[in-house]
Formats: sequence, C-alpha cells, structure tokens
Amino acid sequence: MFFEPFIETIYLTIVPLLFSCVFGFIIGTLIFIGTSSILERKSKPITIISKICDGLVNILRSIPYLILIVWMLPITNFLTGSVIGTKAAVPALVVSATPFFARMVTIAFSEVDHGVIEASKAMGASTFDIITKVLIPESKPALVSSITVTAINLVSYSAMAGAIGAGGLGFEAYQYGLARRDESLMFIATILIVIIVFAIQIIGDKTVKKLDKRGG
Amino acid sequence: MIKIEHVSKSYGDIKAVDDVSLKIDDGEIFGIVGYSGAGKSTLLRTINQLEKVDEGVIDIDGVDITKLDIKALREKRRKIGMIFQHFDLLWSKTVLDNIAFPLELIKVDKETRREKAKEVAKRVGLEDKLDVYPSTLSGGQKQRVAIARALISEPNILLSDEATSALDPKTTDDILELLKKINKEYQITIVLITHQMEVVQKICHRLAVMADGKVIEDGRVDDIFKDPKQDLTKKLIQTVDTGLDVEKMAIDLKAKYPEGHLLRLTFDQKSSGEPILYEVGNKLHIPFNIVSANIKNTQVGPLGVMYIHIEKRHDIAKIIEELQKDEVKVEVI
Ligand SMILES: Nc1ncnc2c1ncn2[C@@H]1O[C@H](COP(=O)(O)OP(=O)(O)O)[C@@H](O)[C@H]1O
Ligand SMILES: [Mg+2]
Repeated sequence: MFFEPFIETIYLTIVPLLFSCVFGFIIGTLIFIGTSSILERKSKPITIISKICDGLVNILRSIPYLILIVWMLPITNFLTGSVIGTKAAVPALVVSATPFFARMVTIAFSEVDHGVIEASKAMGASTFDIITKVLIPESKPALVSSITVTAINLVSYSAMAGAIGAGGLGFEAYQYGLARRDESLMFIATILIVIIVFAIQIIGDKTVKKLDKRGG
Repeated sequence: MIKIEHVSKSYGDIKAVDDVSLKIDDGEIFGIVGYSGAGKSTLLRTINQLEKVDEGVIDIDGVDITKLDIKALREKRRKIGMIFQHFDLLWSKTVLDNIAFPLELIKVDKETRREKAKEVAKRVGLEDKLDVYPSTLSGGQKQRVAIARALISEPNILLSDEATSALDPKTTDDILELLKKINKEYQITIVLITHQMEVVQKICHRLAVMADGKVIEDGRVDDIFKDPKQDLTKKLIQTVDTGLDVEKMAIDLKAKYPEGHLLRLTFDQKSSGEPILYEVGNKLHIPFNIVSANIKNTQVGPLGVMYIHIEKRHDIAKIIEELQKDEVKVEVI
C-alpha cells in the first residue's frame, strides 16, 4: 500500500537532485570564480554574472518553499504541462535546492588549501585547469557531503510537495495522520521516510570516507 | 640570468618590497635572508609573477616577465619550479600523480608522464613511495615529492620559499643536500628565501639580506660571513657561527677567564685556521689557548670562528697585527 508513495518520494528526490546538482554546480563555480581572490584574470562579464548569481542565490534561499510553489505555477505549467501531480512538483524542488547546493559548492571550493592553488598557478595552470584538476578533486569529499545534505533536504521538501498532489510518503503520512486520524499508518509512512534519509546519509558518509585521502 | 631592477610592491600602506635590485647568475644558489615580514616571499613571488609588481623590471634571460600576457606567462612559469614551506601537494593524488601533475597540465598522456615521474622520483629518492597518498608521508618526504614535481618540467630556475622551515634539523640537512645536488647536476639556478642563516651558510653561493622591503646587504657568502657590514647581518650570522648566542658566549668566557685577553677570530678559505694561528704564536713566542672553536663548510669554502685566550702579561697588539696580515678577522672581547 506504501509502494507507490515510496517510489514517488524516490522520484521526487532523485530527479530534482540531478537537476539541482548540475545547475548548482555551475552557479556555485561561477560565484567562486567571481569572488575568490586567488584566481587570476577575471573578465568583466564573468564578474558581473557571478554577482548576479550570488544575489539570486541569496534571494531564492530566503523564499519559503510553499510560496515558491505558488509563484512558480505558470513556469511549472509551461515546463511540465500541468500544475499538479508528481512531475509538476519537480521544477519548484529544483529551484529551491539549486541555490542551496550552489552555496555549498562555493564553500567547498573556498575551503581548498590556497597553497595548492598557488602552487598550481606557479606550474602554469590556467583558471580552467585549476577548477577541473585542483578544485574539484581536492573538494570531492565536501562535494559529496553537499549532495548528501541536498538529497536529504529534498526528501523533506517532497513531503510539502504533497500540497500540489505530488504524492509521496510525506503526503501519505499527512493524509493518514491529520485527515483520517489513522496514527499507525502515519507512523509507518514516517518510518519509511526516516529509512530513506538514513540510507542516503549512510551511502553519503561511506562515499566521503572512501574519497578522503587526507588521513588523520 | 635573473635581473631584478628597481622592483617595488605595496599592499595598501605597507611597502612589502621597496626598490629592490639584484642580479642572480645562471647556475648559482642565491639566498635571500631576513626576519619574518621583511618582504622575502613577496620578492620571490614576483620572479614567477604570482605577485605583480607595482614598479620595476624582472628580466629573465632577456625577457621582462612583468610585461608578458597571461598565456606567455604560463609558458614561462613551466620553466620556473617552485617549492614551499608547507609542500602544497594535492592530497587527492598519489605521490606519482603529484609528481606528474605539471605534465598533466600540458596534456602529456598518462603513460609518458608516469614514466617520467618515476624517473624523477628516483632522483629524489622516492622510488618506493609512488603509490601512496601524501598524507602518509613525513615532512621530508613530502618536500621531496614537491621537489620532484618542480623538476619534472626541467626548469632552469627553482624558487624555494622557506622550503626547510617546517622540517627538523636532520631532515633540513637532507633536503639542503638534495638541493645542492640538483643545482650541481642540472645547473639549475636556485633562489631560496629563509629566515635561517644556517641554510644560507650551508648551500648558497651568494646572498642578500632584506629588512623592511629593502636589500640592505648582498654579496658572496664567505665575504659577508667574514665581514658583515650591517648590524642585522651581524646578528643573523652570529646565530650560525657558534650555534650559540655570541654575546652570551662572550659573557660566559669572560666569567671563566676573568684575567687576560680574549680574542674572537674569524677565518675563511683564504686564511684557513689553525696553522696560521700556531705560526703566529710561535713566531711571537706568545702561548695561547683555544677555548672554543667552530668550523663550518660553505659552498665557497670553510668558515671558522675561534675564541682564544692569552695570558695578561703578553702584548696582543702584535698578534692582532700578524693575524690581520693573514686575513683573519680579529675582535677583542
Ligand atoms: N597578500 C598580502 N596582503 C597584504 N599584506 C601582505 C600580503 N602579503 C604580504 N603582506 C605584507 O607584506 C610584508 C612582507 O611580507 P612577506 O613578503 O610575506 O615577508 P617575509 O616572507 O619576509 O616574511 C609584511 O608586512 C606582510 O604583512
Ligand atoms: Mg615568507
């Protein structure tokens, strides 16, 4: 009986996660390039784009998710051809998770040891080399942690997406618990959500541990 | 040849480098010493333009690198290796891939660059550590990786920013020996900065002393060690001569020999030590006592400091005159 909502929750986590990671990575990288003092030769356009992204991320992060859903109704309709259902929940989830992930990417990059970046510059590395060959590999554990946290956020946001009929375990728990007063079913739905969150966390932590060669 | 001409660099109100001019010859090991904050790192980093200059020219083999565009500068940087106090290795890559990193940047294929990296690793004594990650290495081994990484591009110049400052004395000596070997075998010009005069004494041919962004003294290591002109230079040298605080040494010796004359003699390769002293002593029939002696070897010859005690009844004016004739520096303490 929980099979379908379970699949819906997985869908509402994985699909927005993929989009958010791609967009968030690009935006977070742009913000880093524009704001970091350690990279050289910043073209004017990049600096401007970076500033705009930075502002946008701040604004979007402060809008509550439920309000975002309402505001995005026209865009959602345009993108998915509908304003209700599981698919229709995806755009708003992407828009809410992307700025969060972007911020995490910027932080992950800025935590890479400056000495290593300097050393790479001294070896003749370009900014592109530094991003692809230094920043990404050196911040891999932080990036994977960020993906983990974003995925967990998406699980809980997806429950709110129930408001527009997206389905999922969260909506199920809400329906049984609040509307039908069937607490045991609400409990089961909640347990399933907790299991999903734990699974994501464990997989994330294991991956980080495997990637991290810093020792100690 | 590296010609630094009237280079200045400020950070806000701080003049980190203030009108510095230096010439560094091909194949030499050139040391820049001074206390922390003197502007050494800033000056060194202008040589590969990690730091842009406000004014001045940095001419490397006829090219003013302050005028190069970023593309040409990157090309040039590939021929200028650099090593750092904190090694600055990529923790996410194995030793082999760290060493090969400069070749990865210029898209040399994996096989070729690994072959080359193995070769260089052998030269710095790391052949059995290729597949481990840097976090498992000791400080000295990490610096060897950094040196190998700098060497793999076959640079003409190696810049070293306090490369031994995070290492213990024994490891420092090993790394300095390695740098000396590299300099000899590959004719690489090494410019190193350090706050330890001992490093300069061990491996440099020439040195410059910096304070407040300015070079206050420069010349051959033996000349400067024997006859430093600036107070700061004297102070720096005194930490090396005896390995002890010289002023304290003088006080201790005076306490031990309250009577008579105490002389501090400084020798270099032109006036190599004891034989001269015995000759002079015999010639003038003045017996003396060596109360403390310390001989160090530098790249340009031996360097000795000796404290001698002479009984009160003897006239030391003559012995001073004779020793000075033989180019021994004499100070009465
Ligand atoms: N990036 C920087 N921004 C501001 N001040 C700096 C910077 N780098 C160096 N300085 C200042 O310039 C002076 C010289 O520093 P530095 O070249 O690092 O000296 P040293 O290497 O001899 O210790 C110091 O006063 C230092 O605080
Ligand atoms: Mg420094």
